[in-house]
Amino acid sequence: MNLDKSQAPARPDAAAPAAAKPAAAKPAIAAAKELAQAELPQGCTLSRRRFLEGIGAAVGIVAAGAVPAVVSATAQTAAAAEPEGGPIEEIAKENRDINYPGKPVFYADRAGTQKWGMVIDVKACIGCRRCVYACVKENNIGRDSGFTYIQVLEMELGKVDIEHAKLDYDEAGRPDKWYMPVQCMQCAEPPCVYGCPVKATWKEPDGIVVIDYNKCIACRNCMITCPYGARHFNWKEPEVPEKEINPKVPLEEKAGVVEKCTFCIQRTRAGETTACTAACPVGARKFGDLNDPDSEVSVLLRTRRVWRLKEEAGTEPMIWYVG
Amino acid sequence: MTMAENTERREGYVRFIGIDFHVGALRVAGPRYWAFMSLLFTLLMLGITAWGVALTEGGVVMAMRDNNPWGLWFTNYMYYVGLSAGGLAVYASVHLFGAKQFAPLSRLAVLQAGVLVMMALLSIVTDMERPWRAIWMLVTPNPTAPFVYTGSAAGIYMVICFLDLWILITGKGGEKLAHRMTLIALPFAVYLHTTTAFVLALNKSRELWHSAVMVPIFLTSATASGIALLMICAYVMQRYGIFKFTSSMFRSLSTLLATVIIIDVFLLVVEIITVFWKTSAQPGHVVRFAQFFTGEYALAFIPVLVLGIGAFALLAGRKTRHIPAVQLTAATMYVIAIFLKRYSLMSMGFAINPLGQYTPPYFPSLVETLIAVGLLALGLMFMTVGAKVLPLQVPEDEHGHGAHESGAPGSESSETPAFEAA
Repeated sequence: MNLDKSQAPARPDAAAPAAAKPAAAKPAIAAAKELAQAELPQGCTLSRRRFLEGIGAAVGIVAAGAVPAVVSATAQTAAAAEPEGGPIEEIAKENRDINYPGKPVFYADRAGTQKWGMVIDVKACIGCRRCVYACVKENNIGRDSGFTYIQVLEMELGKVDIEHAKLDYDEAGRPDKWYMPVQCMQCAEPPCVYGCPVKATWKEPDGIVVIDYNKCIACRNCMITCPYGARHFNWKEPEVPEKEINPKVPLEEKAGVVEKCTFCIQRTRAGETTACTAACPVGARKFGDLNDPDSEVSVLLRTRRVWRLKEEAGTEPMIWYVG
Repeated sequence: MTMAENTERREGYVRFIGIDFHVGALRVAGPRYWAFMSLLFTLLMLGITAWGVALTEGGVVMAMRDNNPWGLWFTNYMYYVGLSAGGLAVYASVHLFGAKQFAPLSRLAVLQAGVLVMMALLSIVTDMERPWRAIWMLVTPNPTAPFVYTGSAAGIYMVICFLDLWILITGKGGEKLAHRMTLIALPFAVYLHTTTAFVLALNKSRELWHSAVMVPIFLTSATASGIALLMICAYVMQRYGIFKFTSSMFRSLSTLLATVIIIDVFLLVVEIITVFWKTSAQPGHVVRFAQFFTGEYALAFIPVLVLGIGAFALLAGRKTRHIPAVQLTAATMYVIAIFLKRYSLMSMGFAINPLGQYTPPYFPSLVETLIAVGLLALGLMFMTVGAKVLPLQVPEDEHGHGAHESGAPGSESSETPAFEAA
């Protein structure tokens, strides 16, 4: 079976950067979102969360314009008591847990107090794909499953032109091109988490979006909702050579469910950096804690002019690009 | 009404939950009936085998891949749900808008609606790699996921349809309850279809889906294709002597169909203009929609427009509208057009993935096709058996004109009309 979908060769002629439509008012989702924010203050129990979401569902069904307005007003009152902080602290704080069931996903330790973020220097990136290979090895990705967590796009100079990006380029390091690695952005507003019908994927308290492989019903709706193409389905059982299996990462559980980048949760929660960051030969990737003002990412975010992919989608990605 | 009070035992009938099932009709059914049934049964068995293969081998036997995460099953889900809602709209118009000319159709329409939505639900179930995990939809439903709403709506709607059919046949609660059921069923049909459209429209990641006009398009496509299918179904049943309808009923149905088709085409054209107009064109939209006019995807999308406008043209002419052949042709054209439209709408999200990579058109694998054909066979089996066994013909005293129950022109002499009472 040939599975190399990600190397689709042909591409359209006419094009320019992807631009999402301005989000229209969607009362049901907005109301539920507001509710999710409203229950942020600590001390909220799980049952209270469930209760609030139940109300969210009910509100969604009858969705008149007025009801969500009242709900959001209440939510704003609840959020008003936040302490002051700089923009980076603000971002770290917004990168909160969503649909978190109260205990960490089965293949990870409990989250610490960090808020993880990454900065990728596209000026330094030579498109060598060493991060891709390191990631495949670290995360037990099936060797012929036809996908990788990281997809490196080769772009034309002069614009951020996703529609003309090339994924299956042969030659890396060309001076007339630039390269942009794309992977799960661990968004603070993740459409995939909001779109999962059974809460099989959630944001952990340190901001990492994880998937419970034992709960995923394989509806693949999260792949539809992700604007970064970061989620991948195991159409066949992942095959990894015996000697290369990473015991800290699930393998058989991933058959027939969706998987994606976890910021190497098995490494980063144990104090290491991600496999892709460690593998980068030019140091283009910086990974660290947004809560720590002295971490490399915090310093970069404060001192450099950074941008995020598809900022207009409002997903609040936790991977920044700098060039 | 006479059916309900008629409690005396009759030859060949089995009374269960207040309905007289005419099992005897099956015993005297002709060889062609049973040949058709065995064909359906064979197809169903093939479908079940294919599903078994899919469950053991995994998704690799499907043609779906990461760039085409949804395939034939989702096209069929949208399609069947739409057909179902459309049939119900006809039935509801009898009660809500006093469209008495459609009264003879009511039981058939409700049966068709129930069977179709059952097929839609089975489309989802047969796609799941581990169907038993669907229980999580009930245990931990996520209120922000559109799928939760459409899935639950389809389930409840199926129950409503079959309950409604039971009420119509037994006559329990009389006209009043039938009317009240319509008040529940019709808004629910709209709700079901709105939530189905939301599964596509509420995604900012997929440019062409992310449009509010998706919802009305779904509703009109549903109604139009549902009416068209009901018309075909009514013709087929009349051909086999199960029903007798007046030509004026078919003419009213054609007028309704033509109206809905033109609204449906209009909404699509409005969307196309918004995508391509110089002052509104966004690169992400234009690049993707262009695939459906000049790329490989045009093979599926252009026929949608051609068949849609063609069907309208056929039904628009006052002089030709009453001819059964014209009505049947137009109805068939539109049922096909809507299937292609569902496929195109789905592909609009996938033709170019969120990272700008082109995906060649999805074409279902053998396993997927067999599963879908098996489901279709199951639905047809329900209808074929239902046509024989269930008292689908509405007794004459429930509608002023129409149905001459005696002397149904048995083009198949071996076929016995299912309806003999009243």
